[in-house]
Amino acid sequence: MNMLRVWPIFCQFGVGALLCAVGIWCGLRGGYLNLKVAEDRRLLAILIAGFMVMLAIVCVFTFLAPGWASGESS
Amino acid sequence: MIAQAIGKNLDYVVMLGYFVVVLGFGLYFGRYTRSTKDFFFGGQRFSWWLIAFSCVATVVGSYSFIKYSAAGFRYGISSTQSYLNDWFWMPILVLVWIPIIYYRKIQSVPEYLEIRFDKKTRVAATIIILFYIVGYIGINLITLGKTLNTLLGWEIMTGAIITAVAVALYVYIGGQTAVIMTDLVQGIILLIAGLGLFAGAIYHFGGFGNFWALLPTEHKYAFSDFNAPPKFSFIGIYVQDGLANTGALMLMHQGFIMRFLSLKSVKDSRRMVVCWILVLAPLAAVATSCGGWIAKALVNNGELVTEPGDSFVKAAHFLCAPGVFGFVLAALTAALMSTADSLINAVSAIFVNDIWRPYIKPGSSDKHYLRVARISSLVAAGAGLALVPVFMKDTIYGAHSMFTAAVTPPVLTAIFLGITWKRYTPTAAFVTIAGGAVLIGLSFVSKGPVNWPDVLVGPFDFGMGPESYKFMRALFGLLAAGTLGVLVTFFTKPRPEAELKGLVAGTQTDAMRSFKGGEPNRRKGSKVRLQAKLDAGLAGENMVIISPSALEKMAAEPGDLLYASHIRWWYGGLRSVHVKAGPAADSKDAGLMRISPEDAATAHFADGQEVVVEKIM
Repeated sequence: MNMLRVWPIFCQFGVGALLCAVGIWCGLRGGYLNLKVAEDRRLLAILIAGFMVMLAIVCVFTFLAPGWASGESS
Repeated sequence: MIAQAIGKNLDYVVMLGYFVVVLGFGLYFGRYTRSTKDFFFGGQRFSWWLIAFSCVATVVGSYSFIKYSAAGFRYGISSTQSYLNDWFWMPILVLVWIPIIYYRKIQSVPEYLEIRFDKKTRVAATIIILFYIVGYIGINLITLGKTLNTLLGWEIMTGAIITAVAVALYVYIGGQTAVIMTDLVQGIILLIAGLGLFAGAIYHFGGFGNFWALLPTEHKYAFSDFNAPPKFSFIGIYVQDGLANTGALMLMHQGFIMRFLSLKSVKDSRRMVVCWILVLAPLAAVATSCGGWIAKALVNNGELVTEPGDSFVKAAHFLCAPGVFGFVLAALTAALMSTADSLINAVSAIFVNDIWRPYIKPGSSDKHYLRVARISSLVAAGAGLALVPVFMKDTIYGAHSMFTAAVTPPVLTAIFLGITWKRYTPTAAFVTIAGGAVLIGLSFVSKGPVNWPDVLVGPFDFGMGPESYKFMRALFGLLAAGTLGVLVTFFTKPRPEAELKGLVAGTQTDAMRSFKGGEPNRRKGSKVRLQAKLDAGLAGENMVIISPSALEKMAAEPGDLLYASHIRWWYGGLRSVHVKAGPAADSKDAGLMRISPEDAATAHFADGQEVVVEKIM
């Protein structure tokens, strides 16, 4: 595995997870993000789902898509 | 291929026609602007979908098509990586920053910094933010100037002046409402043009597989290599665009703050951000970059010869039929206008709210400030034009990256620490901004006994050397400003917690209480349809009287904040008003909403008109 291609994913989604965690923690402090409210639970679910969708897209275009067809080099 | 012949005159007629239509559209909405609240925040009444389109139109500047297509031509689909960073800022944006500025009724970042810290921090931030926004206007104007130079042979300044005048004119008259409504149109057009071009290319190549096969393998990765090449490494793009620039767009960009404040409610901001970042931004990434990918495939297929910087225009020129090419050029113009209008309006807001109102002429009438806001819009466009010659010395990508990496880190760091950390002190905030700016400025000084770029930015270049400094300066700036802020915080005294209510994380609900003037009601309710009935007895109350059954359906109580709007959803809140629920009406008025004539006028409601009412909190 070419780690030069893997480090960007670690970096982007690692720092990204940290930023998300800070935001969620800041929301939970003081009860503004109230997990007893369905609307807030839905927001949290969308947030996590969005993160996973982005990660999936990036993984497809790192590990699968480059091999779908061999292109000519310029 | 769709067509080879290019009908030049038809293209320019289409482009000119578009220009006139958008100008007229923007001017039309001048009638909705009667106060500074309308001019800067569109009356705080718009729906999430309208603001989502408007945000994407603002994010996509005219430089985006040229910059990302050039990167797409050189490096492939990794040109979209700049658009894949926004989601990570979403929790901080919707759970912390938007609730704070919306509920505390903060009109600008400098104003927040004064309330959270002190006056000197506000002044330092005002200077940097004005420089940031005016510079952004300059970058947008030079891009379109360069494009018109290529297409029509006009001098770069001539193209820049014409577009600056057109944009300044409709912002002058229509303010934020004109910006939002024209951005809706322009956002749709630039997405249609970009994605249409991509679809046309797929058709031309005979399917996605054929197109994909024409791209070199190294062009098929989502990210570029971690630290190569120096001018387009992952880490360079990530720190400059993903951290500094995206963070600045979310937290520090006055144009976006005004957009967030134009929403009818904070609840709508959640939907708006999801639609903008998860749906529209990825589409915009493809729309702006695909010109480069298509051009590369055409070159590899022996059908086109082009330089990276011309790849978007050449690919569009090759694929489009006469008139359609003009539409694509109109999209380029749309991208410019939709970004520049927000920036011009933003400069005007900061000038009026952070300079004119507090320091030059406090206590004047709203009419006076509205006049100053309009005049400062024109001055902002002029200031952006003055910067055009400065940016001519670099490539568009280079100028934009260098500029954002250098300007944004200190203020972004101060806001980030300010909203997330109660202990962060006023002295530390000032040192973060002023000290960070000085250190970043020093990182440009290479003449003299010490080569400061090597000393300051060199340790963060991941072995890429001086060519990467314009990107890696963002990392140095963030770390330098952050370290200063944290260190100074531990040696200085924080403000008492009681003074920070509604200004930092953990106190958003206090901000909600102060916004409503009471305990927020978050019970789930439904919308109701009622008939507006003008009642002069409610004049000056900003209150409506509705029946107990309607209140019950909305799960609302007297004193709750309500939002009444036109029954046609596609107005997007243009005809609407926020009001408080008054005491319950008699049962004979079950289907009515009694409203004062001035609130009805604000919402453009006629007597007897059907309206939709919902509870905000």
